[in-house]
Amino acid sequence: MHMRAGLLIVLGVLSVLAIGVHRERMGARLLRSDPDTLAADPSLYQFALAGGKSVFNARCAGCHGEDGRGDPARGIPNLADDDWLYGEGLVSDIERIVMHGIRSNDPKAWNLAHMPAFGRDRTGVQDGGFPSLTPQQIRDVVEYVLSLEGRPASAPSAERGAKVYKMDGGCYDCHSDDARGNPAIGAPNLVDRVTLYGDGSRQSLFDSIAYGRSGVCPAWDRKLSPLAIREVAVHVFSLSHIAPLDAARL
Amino acid sequence: MSNWREPNRVNTSRSMILMAVGAVAGLMLAGYALFTARGTSTLFVPPEDVALVNQQPISRSDFLLQLQTLFGVDIAHATTEQRRQVLNEMIREELFVQRGKELDVASTDPDVRSAMVNAVELEIAADAITTQPSDAALVDYYKAHTEKYSREGLMTVHDYVFPKDALDQARRAASDLRSGRVRPDAVAQLGAKESPIVGDEQFYFAARIHLGPVLFDAARALDNGAASDPITVGDTVHVLLMTNNTRPLPLSFSEARDQVLNDFRRDAINHMRLGDEAFLRKRANILIADDLR
Repeated sequence: MHMRAGLLIVLGVLSVLAIGVHRERMGARLLRSDPDTLAADPSLYQFALAGGKSVFNARCAGCHGEDGRGDPARGIPNLADDDWLYGEGLVSDIERIVMHGIRSNDPKAWNLAHMPAFGRDRTGVQDGGFPSLTPQQIRDVVEYVLSLEGRPASAPSAERGAKVYKMDGGCYDCHSDDARGNPAIGAPNLVDRVTLYGDGSRQSLFDSIAYGRSGVCPAWDRKLSPLAIREVAVHVFSLSHIAPLDAARL
Repeated sequence: MSNWREPNRVNTSRSMILMAVGAVAGLMLAGYALFTARGTSTLFVPPEDVALVNQQPISRSDFLLQLQTLFGVDIAHATTEQRRQVLNEMIREELFVQRGKELDVASTDPDVRSAMVNAVELEIAADAITTQPSDAALVDYYKAHTEKYSREGLMTVHDYVFPKDALDQARRAASDLRSGRVRPDAVAQLGAKESPIVGDEQFYFAARIHLGPVLFDAARALDNGAASDPITVGDTVHVLLMTNNTRPLPLSFSEARDQVLNDFRRDAINHMRLGDEAFLRKRANILIADDLR
Protein backbone atom coordinates (compact mmCIF):
# COMPACT_ATOMS: atom_id res chain seq x y z
CA MET A 1 0.00 0.00 0.00
CA HIS A 2 2.80 2.36 1.02
CA MET A 3 4.75 1.33 -2.07
CA ARG A 4 1.81 2.21 -4.30
CA ALA A 5 1.32 5.58 -2.63
CA GLY A 6 5.02 6.34 -2.95
CA LEU A 7 4.93 5.38 -6.61
CA LEU A 8 1.95 7.67 -7.20
CA ILE A 9 3.75 10.56 -5.51
CA VAL A 10 6.86 9.96 -7.59
CA LEU A 11 4.74 9.75 -10.75
CA GLY A 12 2.97 12.95 -9.77
CA VAL A 13 6.23 14.76 -9.17
CA LEU A 14 7.63 13.47 -12.44
CA SER A 15 4.49 14.57 -14.28
CA VAL A 16 4.73 18.06 -12.85
CA LEU A 17 8.40 18.15 -13.79
CA ALA A 18 7.64 16.88 -17.29
CA ILE A 19 4.93 19.51 -17.76
CA GLY A 20 7.30 22.20 -16.49
CA VAL A 21 10.07 21.07 -18.82
CA HIS A 22 7.64 20.87 -21.73
CA ARG A 23 6.34 24.36 -21.02
CA GLU A 24 9.87 25.67 -20.65
CA ARG A 25 10.87 24.17 -24.00
CA MET A 26 7.72 25.35 -25.76
CA GLY A 27 8.16 28.81 -24.24
CA ALA A 28 11.73 28.97 -25.51
CA ARG A 29 10.57 27.79 -28.95
CA LEU A 30 7.83 30.40 -28.96
CA LEU A 31 10.22 33.20 -28.06
CA ARG A 32 12.78 32.13 -30.64
CA SER A 33 10.23 31.79 -33.43
CA ASP A 34 9.44 34.51 -35.94
CA PRO A 35 6.31 36.11 -34.44
CA ASP A 36 4.75 36.74 -37.82
CA THR A 37 5.00 33.19 -39.09
CA LEU A 38 4.33 31.21 -35.92
CA ALA A 39 0.63 30.96 -36.77
CA ALA A 40 1.70 28.40 -39.36
CA ASP A 41 2.85 26.10 -36.54
CA PRO A 42 -0.41 24.84 -34.98
CA SER A 43 1.16 23.33 -31.85
CA LEU A 44 3.11 26.48 -31.06
CA TYR A 45 0.13 28.68 -31.89
CA GLN A 46 -2.16 26.70 -29.59
CA PHE A 47 0.45 26.79 -26.82
CA ALA A 48 0.65 30.58 -27.10
CA LEU A 49 -3.13 30.93 -27.14
CA ALA A 50 -3.50 28.86 -23.99
CA GLY A 51 -1.24 31.20 -22.04
CA GLY A 52 -2.27 34.39 -23.81
CA LYS A 53 -5.94 34.22 -22.89
CA SER A 54 -5.29 34.30 -19.15
CA VAL A 55 -2.76 37.12 -19.48
CA PHE A 56 -5.26 39.07 -21.57
CA ASN A 57 -8.03 38.57 -19.03
CA ALA A 58 -5.77 39.65 -16.19
CA ARG A 59 -4.16 42.67 -17.83
CA CYS A 60 -6.08 43.84 -20.88
CA ALA A 61 -9.73 42.88 -20.43
CA GLY A 62 -10.21 45.66 -17.88
CA CYS A 63 -10.25 48.11 -20.79
CA HIS A 64 -10.74 46.05 -23.95
CA GLY A 65 -13.28 43.62 -22.47
CA GLU A 66 -12.85 39.84 -22.36
CA ASP A 67 -13.97 39.55 -25.98
CA GLY A 68 -11.54 42.34 -26.97
CA ARG A 69 -14.26 44.37 -28.64
CA GLY A 70 -13.40 47.57 -26.75
CA ASP A 71 -15.76 50.43 -26.04
CA PRO A 72 -16.14 53.35 -28.46
CA ALA A 73 -17.77 55.43 -25.72
CA ARG A 74 -14.42 55.35 -23.93
CA GLY A 75 -12.20 55.32 -27.03
CA ILE A 76 -11.08 51.76 -26.36
CA PRO A 77 -10.29 50.15 -29.71
CA ASN A 78 -11.94 46.98 -30.92
CA LEU A 79 -9.22 44.33 -31.21
CA ALA A 80 -11.50 41.81 -32.87
CA ASP A 81 -12.05 43.66 -36.14
CA ASP A 82 -9.57 44.05 -39.00
CA ASP A 83 -9.02 47.78 -38.50
CA TRP A 84 -5.55 48.49 -37.09
CA LEU A 85 -4.49 51.92 -35.98
CA TYR A 86 -0.83 51.07 -35.49
CA GLY A 87 0.93 48.77 -37.91
CA GLU A 88 -0.84 46.06 -39.85
CA GLY A 89 -2.10 43.80 -37.08
CA LEU A 90 0.84 41.39 -37.29
CA VAL A 91 1.86 39.58 -34.12
CA SER A 92 5.07 41.63 -34.10
CA ASP A 93 3.08 44.88 -34.33
CA ILE A 94 0.79 43.83 -31.48
CA GLU A 95 3.74 42.61 -29.41
CA ARG A 96 5.45 45.98 -29.76
CA ILE A 97 2.33 47.76 -28.51
CA VAL A 98 1.94 45.38 -25.54
CA MET A 99 5.60 45.78 -24.71
CA HIS A 100 6.04 49.52 -25.06
CA GLY A 101 2.49 50.87 -25.18
CA ILE A 102 0.98 53.91 -26.84
CA ARG A 103 1.75 57.35 -25.41
CA SER A 104 2.88 55.47 -22.31
CA ASN A 105 5.99 57.56 -21.55
CA ASP A 106 8.10 54.60 -22.67
CA PRO A 107 10.73 55.96 -25.10
CA LYS A 108 10.04 53.06 -27.47
CA ALA A 109 6.26 53.55 -27.42
CA TRP A 110 4.15 54.93 -30.24
CA ASN A 111 4.42 58.51 -28.98
CA LEU A 112 4.71 60.40 -32.22
CA ALA A 113 1.19 61.68 -32.78
CA HIS A 114 -1.94 62.66 -30.94
CA MET A 115 -5.12 64.39 -32.00
CA PRO A 116 -4.72 68.09 -31.20
CA ALA A 117 -7.54 70.07 -29.59
CA PHE A 118 -8.42 72.58 -32.30
CA GLY A 119 -11.13 74.16 -30.16
CA ARG A 120 -8.77 75.12 -27.35
CA ASP A 121 -6.25 77.92 -27.09
CA ARG A 122 -3.23 76.62 -28.98
CA THR A 123 -0.97 79.56 -28.26
CA GLY A 124 2.47 78.13 -27.62
CA VAL A 125 1.34 74.52 -28.11
CA GLN A 126 4.15 72.58 -29.76
CA ASP A 127 2.37 69.89 -31.70
CA GLY A 128 2.61 70.77 -35.34
CA GLY A 129 2.16 74.50 -35.24
CA PHE A 130 -1.40 74.45 -36.53
CA PRO A 131 -3.66 77.21 -35.18
CA SER A 132 -6.97 76.84 -33.39
CA LEU A 133 -10.02 76.64 -35.62
CA THR A 134 -13.29 78.52 -35.32
CA PRO A 135 -16.44 76.59 -34.42
CA GLN A 136 -17.68 77.00 -38.01
CA GLN A 137 -14.43 75.66 -39.45
CA ILE A 138 -14.75 72.60 -37.20
CA ARG A 139 -18.36 72.07 -38.28
CA ASP A 140 -17.21 72.31 -41.91
CA VAL A 141 -14.54 69.66 -41.32
CA VAL A 142 -17.16 67.44 -39.68
CA GLU A 143 -19.32 67.74 -42.82
CA TYR A 144 -16.27 66.95 -44.97
CA VAL A 145 -15.54 63.81 -42.94
CA LEU A 146 -19.17 62.73 -43.20
CA SER A 147 -19.03 63.21 -46.96
CA LEU A 148 -15.86 61.10 -47.14
CA GLU A 149 -17.69 58.31 -45.37
CA GLY A 150 -20.51 58.55 -47.88
CA ARG A 151 -22.97 59.78 -45.26
CA PRO A 152 -25.41 62.68 -45.78
CA ALA A 153 -23.58 65.99 -45.46
CA SER A 154 -24.02 69.64 -46.40
CA ALA A 155 -22.16 70.03 -49.71
CA PRO A 156 -21.14 73.72 -49.34
CA SER A 157 -19.99 73.12 -45.76
CA ALA A 158 -18.08 69.98 -46.78
CA GLU A 159 -16.40 71.95 -49.56
CA ARG A 160 -15.22 74.55 -47.05
CA GLY A 161 -14.22 71.72 -44.72
CA ALA A 162 -12.04 70.17 -47.43
CA LYS A 163 -10.10 73.42 -47.65
CA VAL A 164 -9.62 73.52 -43.88
CA TYR A 165 -8.53 69.85 -43.98
CA LYS A 166 -5.90 70.60 -46.60
CA MET A 167 -4.81 74.04 -45.38
CA ASP A 168 -5.48 75.77 -42.02
CA GLY A 169 -6.30 72.65 -40.04
CA GLY A 170 -3.37 70.67 -41.38
CA CYS A 171 -5.42 67.48 -40.97
CA TYR A 172 -3.72 65.99 -44.04
CA ASP A 173 -0.44 66.02 -42.15
CA CYS A 174 -1.44 62.97 -40.10
CA HIS A 175 -4.54 61.57 -41.80
CA SER A 176 -2.87 61.89 -45.26
CA ASP A 177 -4.20 63.62 -48.38
CA ASP A 178 -6.75 60.90 -49.14
CA ALA A 179 -7.89 60.79 -45.47
CA ARG A 180 -7.10 57.08 -45.28
CA GLY A 181 -4.90 57.61 -42.24
CA ASN A 182 -1.36 56.52 -41.54
CA PRO A 183 -0.67 53.34 -39.56
CA ALA A 184 2.94 54.42 -39.07
CA ILE A 185 1.79 57.05 -36.57
CA GLY A 186 -1.61 55.70 -35.58
CA ALA A 187 -3.65 58.26 -37.52
CA PRO A 188 -7.10 56.76 -38.10
CA ASN A 189 -8.63 56.16 -41.51
CA LEU A 190 -11.45 58.71 -41.87
CA VAL A 191 -13.24 57.11 -44.80
CA ASP A 192 -13.94 53.62 -43.43
CA ARG A 193 -16.81 54.46 -41.05
CA VAL A 194 -14.93 52.81 -38.17
CA THR A 195 -15.14 55.29 -35.32
CA LEU A 196 -12.67 54.99 -32.49
CA TYR A 197 -14.34 57.58 -30.27
CA GLY A 198 -18.07 57.99 -29.86
CA ASP A 199 -20.91 57.01 -32.13
CA GLY A 200 -19.80 58.82 -35.27
CA SER A 201 -22.41 61.54 -34.76
CA ARG A 202 -21.72 65.15 -35.67
CA GLN A 203 -21.36 66.00 -31.97
CA SER A 204 -18.82 63.26 -31.28
CA LEU A 205 -16.81 64.20 -34.40
CA PHE A 206 -16.96 67.86 -33.33
CA ASP A 207 -15.75 66.91 -29.84
CA SER A 208 -12.85 64.89 -31.25
CA ILE A 209 -11.66 67.80 -33.39
CA ALA A 210 -12.38 70.54 -30.84
CA TYR A 211 -11.07 68.86 -27.69
CA GLY A 212 -8.54 66.38 -29.06
CA ARG A 213 -7.86 62.72 -28.30
CA SER A 214 -4.83 60.99 -26.89
CA GLY A 215 -5.65 57.53 -25.59
CA VAL A 216 -3.04 55.62 -23.66
CA CYS A 217 -2.08 51.96 -23.71
CA PRO A 218 0.34 51.08 -20.90
CA ALA A 219 3.76 49.58 -21.54
CA TRP A 220 3.93 46.09 -20.05
CA ASP A 221 7.59 45.27 -20.53
CA ARG A 222 8.34 46.03 -16.90
CA LYS A 223 5.38 44.02 -15.64
CA LEU A 224 5.14 40.97 -17.88
CA SER A 225 7.74 38.43 -18.95
CA PRO A 226 8.76 38.30 -22.63
CA LEU A 227 6.91 34.97 -22.89
CA ALA A 228 3.68 36.39 -21.47
CA ILE A 229 3.94 39.35 -23.86
CA ARG A 230 4.42 37.03 -26.85
CA GLU A 231 1.50 34.86 -25.70
CA VAL A 232 -0.89 37.77 -25.25
CA ALA A 233 0.15 39.20 -28.62
CA VAL A 234 -0.78 35.89 -30.24
CA HIS A 235 -4.09 35.88 -28.38
CA VAL A 236 -4.93 39.39 -29.61
CA PHE A 237 -3.91 38.35 -33.13
CA SER A 238 -6.28 35.38 -32.87
CA LEU A 239 -9.24 37.66 -32.08
CA SER A 240 -9.22 38.98 -35.61
CA HIS A 241 -7.69 36.07 -37.50
CA ILE A 242 -8.91 32.55 -38.20
CA ALA A 243 -6.87 29.99 -36.33
CA PRO A 244 -4.55 27.95 -38.56
CA LEU A 245 -6.36 24.71 -37.73
CA ASP A 246 -9.72 26.24 -38.64
CA ALA A 247 -8.26 27.78 -41.78
CA ALA A 248 -7.03 24.36 -42.85
CA ARG A 249 -10.55 22.97 -42.52
CA LEU A 250 -12.06 25.70 -44.73
CA MET B 1 15.31 -4.60 3.29
CA SER B 2 12.52 -6.12 5.33
CA ASN B 3 11.55 -2.83 7.01
CA TRP B 4 12.17 -0.64 3.91
CA ARG B 5 8.45 0.17 3.62
CA GLU B 6 7.86 0.73 7.34
CA PRO B 7 8.48 4.41 8.09
CA ASN B 8 8.28 3.91 11.86
CA ARG B 9 11.36 1.68 11.83
CA VAL B 10 14.90 2.79 11.18
CA ASN B 11 16.41 1.59 7.89
CA THR B 12 19.91 2.75 7.07
CA SER B 13 19.71 1.89 3.36
CA ARG B 14 16.49 3.80 2.97
CA SER B 15 17.97 6.82 4.73
CA MET B 16 21.06 6.80 2.54
CA ILE B 17 19.09 6.43 -0.68
CA LEU B 18 16.61 9.16 0.19
CA MET B 19 19.44 11.46 1.21
CA ALA B 20 21.22 10.77 -2.08
CA VAL B 21 18.04 11.45 -4.07
CA GLY B 22 17.53 14.70 -2.17
CA ALA B 23 21.12 15.74 -2.74
CA VAL B 24 20.94 15.01 -6.48
CA ALA B 25 17.63 16.89 -6.81
CA GLY B 26 19.09 19.83 -4.89
CA LEU B 27 22.20 19.90 -7.04
CA MET B 28 20.08 19.75 -10.21
CA LEU B 29 17.90 22.63 -9.06
CA ALA B 30 20.91 24.67 -8.00
CA GLY B 31 22.64 24.02 -11.32
CA TYR B 32 19.55 24.98 -13.28
CA ALA B 33 19.08 28.15 -11.26
CA LEU B 34 22.77 29.00 -11.50
CA PHE B 35 22.82 28.89 -15.29
CA THR B 36 19.44 30.40 -16.04
CA ALA B 37 18.60 32.96 -13.35
CA ARG B 38 18.88 36.63 -14.14
CA GLY B 39 21.80 38.44 -12.62
CA THR B 40 24.02 35.41 -12.55
CA SER B 41 26.68 34.30 -14.97
CA THR B 42 25.28 31.96 -17.54
CA LEU B 43 26.52 30.02 -20.49
CA PHE B 44 23.16 30.01 -22.23
CA VAL B 45 21.45 32.85 -24.07
CA PRO B 46 17.86 33.06 -22.75
CA PRO B 47 15.24 32.58 -25.44
CA GLU B 48 13.99 36.15 -25.14
CA ASP B 49 17.45 37.49 -26.00
CA VAL B 50 19.70 37.25 -29.02
CA ALA B 51 23.02 37.74 -27.26
CA LEU B 52 24.67 38.32 -23.92
CA VAL B 53 27.47 40.86 -23.75
CA ASN B 54 29.32 40.51 -20.46
CA GLN B 55 26.10 38.92 -19.17
CA GLN B 56 24.04 41.92 -20.30
CA PRO B 57 21.21 40.76 -22.56
CA ILE B 58 20.37 42.15 -25.97
CA SER B 59 16.68 41.55 -26.28
CA ARG B 60 15.17 39.72 -29.22
CA SER B 61 12.38 42.28 -29.56
CA ASP B 62 14.92 45.11 -29.85
CA PHE B 63 16.80 43.06 -32.43
CA LEU B 64 13.64 42.51 -34.51
CA LEU B 65 12.73 46.19 -34.28
CA GLN B 66 16.23 47.22 -35.33
CA LEU B 67 16.09 44.80 -38.25
CA GLN B 68 12.79 46.30 -39.33
CA THR B 69 14.04 49.86 -38.91
CA LEU B 70 17.32 49.39 -40.75
CA PHE B 71 16.29 47.05 -43.54
CA GLY B 72 12.49 47.06 -43.51
CA VAL B 73 12.35 43.26 -43.22
CA ASP B 74 11.18 40.81 -40.60
CA ILE B 75 13.41 38.04 -39.37
CA ALA B 76 11.96 35.50 -41.79
CA HIS B 77 12.94 37.62 -44.76
CA ALA B 78 16.24 39.02 -43.47
CA THR B 79 19.42 37.73 -45.04
CA THR B 80 22.16 36.27 -42.90
CA GLU B 81 24.29 39.29 -43.69
CA GLN B 82 21.53 41.67 -42.53
CA ARG B 83 21.05 39.75 -39.28
CA ARG B 84 24.78 39.73 -38.66
CA GLN B 85 25.12 43.43 -39.35
CA VAL B 86 22.29 44.34 -36.98
CA LEU B 87 23.60 42.06 -34.26
CA ASN B 88 27.12 43.46 -34.60
CA GLU B 89 25.79 46.99 -34.33
CA MET B 90 23.83 46.11 -31.21
CA ILE B 91 26.78 44.34 -29.61
CA ARG B 92 28.96 47.36 -30.39
CA GLU B 93 26.38 49.65 -28.79
CA GLU B 94 26.20 47.48 -25.68
CA LEU B 95 29.99 47.41 -25.37
CA PHE B 96 30.15 51.18 -25.60
CA VAL B 97 27.33 51.59 -23.08
CA GLN B 98 29.20 49.36 -20.65
CA ARG B 99 32.39 51.31 -21.26
CA GLY B 100 30.44 54.51 -20.73
CA LYS B 101 29.36 53.25 -17.31
CA GLU B 102 32.97 52.45 -16.44
CA LEU B 103 34.02 55.94 -17.51
CA ASP B 104 31.09 57.44 -15.56
CA VAL B 105 29.96 59.38 -18.60
CA ALA B 106 26.85 60.48 -16.73
CA SER B 107 28.91 62.73 -14.50
CA THR B 108 29.99 64.86 -17.44
CA ASP B 109 27.50 64.48 -20.30
CA PRO B 110 24.24 66.40 -19.82
CA ASP B 111 22.44 64.30 -22.46
CA VAL B 112 23.30 61.08 -20.63
CA ARG B 113 22.21 62.62 -17.33
CA SER B 114 18.93 63.72 -18.84
CA ALA B 115 18.33 60.28 -20.36
CA MET B 116 19.05 58.63 -16.99
CA VAL B 117 16.65 60.95 -15.19
CA ASN B 118 13.95 60.17 -17.77
CA ALA B 119 14.58 56.44 -17.47
CA VAL B 120 14.33 56.50 -13.67
CA GLU B 121 11.14 58.57 -13.84
CA LEU B 122 9.72 56.04 -16.26
CA GLU B 123 10.60 53.21 -13.92
CA ILE B 124 8.88 55.01 -11.06
CA ALA B 125 5.84 55.73 -13.22
CA ALA B 126 5.47 52.16 -14.46
CA ASP B 127 3.16 51.13 -11.63
CA ALA B 128 0.88 54.11 -12.07
CA ILE B 129 0.71 53.68 -15.85
CA THR B 130 -0.07 49.98 -15.80
CA THR B 131 -2.58 50.11 -12.98
CA GLN B 132 -6.15 50.34 -14.20
CA PRO B 133 -8.05 52.52 -11.73
CA SER B 134 -11.59 51.53 -10.85
CA ASP B 135 -14.49 53.51 -12.24
CA ALA B 136 -15.38 54.56 -8.69
CA ALA B 137 -11.93 56.11 -8.25
CA LEU B 138 -12.26 57.90 -11.59
CA VAL B 139 -15.73 59.21 -10.74
CA ASP B 140 -14.39 60.57 -7.45
CA TYR B 141 -11.57 62.28 -9.31
CA TYR B 142 -14.02 63.68 -11.87
CA LYS B 143 -16.26 65.07 -9.12
CA ALA B 144 -13.28 66.70 -7.44
CA HIS B 145 -12.17 68.40 -10.67
CA THR B 146 -15.41 69.06 -12.55
CA GLU B 147 -14.28 72.53 -13.60
CA LYS B 148 -11.68 70.91 -15.88
CA TYR B 149 -14.19 68.90 -17.84
CA SER B 150 -16.42 71.11 -19.96
CA ARG B 151 -17.00 72.00 -23.57
CA GLU B 152 -15.59 75.39 -24.53
CA GLY B 153 -18.22 78.15 -24.54
CA LEU B 154 -19.23 79.78 -27.82
CA MET B 155 -20.20 83.40 -28.46
CA THR B 156 -21.13 85.66 -31.34
CA VAL B 157 -20.65 89.19 -30.07
CA HIS B 158 -20.51 92.58 -31.79
CA ASP B 159 -18.17 95.19 -30.38
CA TYR B 160 -19.12 98.80 -31.22
CA VAL B 161 -16.23 101.17 -30.56
CA PHE B 162 -16.73 104.86 -29.80
CA PRO B 163 -14.14 107.57 -29.21
CA LYS B 164 -13.51 108.33 -25.53
CA ASP B 165 -15.35 111.65 -25.69
CA ALA B 166 -18.50 110.05 -27.20
CA LEU B 167 -19.77 108.49 -23.99
CA ASP B 168 -23.25 109.94 -24.43
CA GLN B 169 -23.62 108.47 -27.92
CA ALA B 170 -22.43 105.15 -26.53
CA ARG B 171 -25.06 105.26 -23.80
CA ARG B 172 -27.73 106.05 -26.39
CA ALA B 173 -26.56 103.26 -28.64
CA ALA B 174 -26.67 100.77 -25.76
CA SER B 175 -30.15 101.89 -24.83
CA ASP B 176 -31.38 101.78 -28.44
CA LEU B 177 -29.85 98.34 -29.00
CA ARG B 178 -31.57 96.99 -25.89
CA SER B 179 -34.92 98.41 -26.81
CA GLY B 180 -34.59 97.38 -30.44
CA ARG B 181 -35.04 100.97 -31.60
CA VAL B 182 -31.93 100.71 -33.74
CA ARG B 183 -30.74 97.83 -35.89
CA PRO B 184 -27.19 96.68 -35.12
CA ASP B 185 -26.01 97.64 -38.60
CA ALA B 186 -27.24 101.23 -38.03
CA VAL B 187 -25.10 101.80 -34.94
CA ALA B 188 -22.46 103.37 -37.17
CA GLN B 189 -24.77 106.33 -37.61
CA LEU B 190 -24.26 107.06 -33.90
CA GLY B 191 -20.54 107.42 -34.48
CA ALA B 192 -19.37 103.88 -33.71
CA LYS B 193 -17.11 101.58 -35.65
CA GLU B 194 -17.66 97.85 -35.33
CA SER B 195 -14.53 95.92 -34.39
CA PRO B 196 -13.67 93.52 -37.21
CA ILE B 197 -11.93 90.93 -35.02
CA VAL B 198 -15.14 89.77 -33.38
CA GLY B 199 -18.59 89.41 -34.89
CA ASP B 200 -18.31 85.81 -36.06
CA GLU B 201 -18.96 82.87 -33.79
CA GLN B 202 -15.93 82.21 -31.60
CA PHE B 203 -14.83 79.92 -28.83
CA TYR B 204 -14.60 81.64 -25.45
CA PHE B 205 -10.82 81.43 -25.40
CA ALA B 206 -10.62 83.17 -28.79
CA ALA B 207 -13.10 85.86 -27.73
CA ARG B 208 -11.01 86.41 -24.58
CA ILE B 209 -7.92 86.95 -26.73
CA HIS B 210 -9.72 89.22 -29.18
CA LEU B 211 -11.69 91.33 -26.70
CA GLY B 212 -9.24 91.42 -23.82
CA PRO B 213 -10.11 90.37 -20.29
CA VAL B 214 -12.30 93.37 -19.35
CA LEU B 215 -14.58 93.23 -22.38
CA PHE B 216 -14.66 89.43 -22.35
CA ASP B 217 -15.82 89.31 -18.74
CA ALA B 218 -18.60 91.75 -19.62
CA ALA B 219 -19.50 89.82 -22.78
CA ARG B 220 -19.80 86.40 -21.24
CA ALA B 221 -22.30 87.74 -18.70
CA LEU B 222 -24.64 88.86 -21.49
CA ASP B 223 -27.60 86.77 -22.54
CA ASN B 224 -28.65 86.38 -26.15
CA GLY B 225 -29.80 89.72 -27.59
CA ALA B 226 -28.49 91.75 -24.64
CA ALA B 227 -26.34 94.86 -24.98
CA SER B 228 -23.79 96.00 -22.42
CA ASP B 229 -23.45 99.38 -20.78
CA PRO B 230 -20.66 101.49 -22.27
CA ILE B 231 -17.25 100.16 -21.13
CA THR B 232 -14.23 102.42 -21.21
CA VAL B 233 -10.99 100.69 -22.10
CA GLY B 234 -8.01 102.96 -22.67
CA ASP B 235 -8.95 105.66 -25.20
CA THR B 236 -12.11 104.01 -26.44
CA VAL B 237 -15.61 103.25 -25.25
CA HIS B 238 -17.19 99.91 -26.17
CA VAL B 239 -20.76 98.70 -26.38
CA LEU B 240 -21.17 94.94 -26.75
CA LEU B 241 -24.15 93.29 -28.37
CA MET B 242 -24.47 89.57 -27.76
CA THR B 243 -26.11 87.67 -30.62
CA ASN B 244 -25.51 84.18 -29.30
CA ASN B 245 -23.89 83.08 -26.05
CA THR B 246 -23.55 79.35 -25.46
CA ARG B 247 -21.96 78.99 -22.06
CA PRO B 248 -19.48 76.13 -21.36
CA LEU B 249 -21.36 72.89 -20.90
CA PRO B 250 -19.96 70.44 -18.37
CA LEU B 251 -18.98 67.09 -19.87
CA SER B 252 -20.63 64.09 -18.26
CA PHE B 253 -18.32 61.52 -16.72
CA SER B 254 -18.76 59.15 -19.65
CA GLU B 255 -17.96 61.95 -22.13
CA ALA B 256 -14.89 63.00 -20.17
CA ARG B 257 -13.73 59.54 -19.06
CA ASP B 258 -10.77 59.39 -21.42
CA GLN B 259 -9.51 62.76 -20.24
CA VAL B 260 -10.25 61.93 -16.60
CA LEU B 261 -8.21 58.72 -16.88
CA ASN B 262 -5.26 60.59 -18.40
CA ASP B 263 -5.39 63.27 -15.69
CA PHE B 264 -5.80 60.67 -12.94
CA ARG B 265 -2.74 58.79 -14.19
CA ARG B 266 -0.72 61.97 -14.59
CA ASP B 267 -1.49 62.96 -11.01
CA ALA B 268 -0.68 59.45 -9.77
CA ILE B 269 2.64 59.51 -11.63
CA ASN B 270 3.51 62.92 -10.19
CA HIS B 271 2.58 61.71 -6.73
CA MET B 272 4.84 58.66 -7.07
CA ARG B 273 7.69 60.75 -8.44
CA LEU B 274 7.45 63.17 -5.55
CA GLY B 275 7.35 60.27 -3.10
CA ASP B 276 10.41 58.65 -4.64
CA GLU B 277 12.26 61.94 -4.74
CA ALA B 278 11.49 62.50 -1.06
CA PHE B 279 12.77 59.00 -0.27
CA LEU B 280 15.96 59.52 -2.28
CA ARG B 281 16.59 62.84 -0.57
CA LYS B 282 15.98 61.29 2.82
CA ARG B 283 18.52 58.54 2.40
CA ALA B 284 21.06 60.71 0.57
CA ASN B 285 23.99 62.46 2.17
CA ILE B 286 23.68 65.96 0.69
CA LEU B 287 26.13 68.67 1.69
CA ILE B 288 25.44 72.22 0.57
CA ALA B 289 27.98 75.01 0.42
CA ASP B 290 27.74 77.55 3.21
CA ASP B 291 26.84 80.45 0.92
CA LEU B 292 23.87 78.59 -0.53
CA ARG B 293 22.36 77.26 2.67
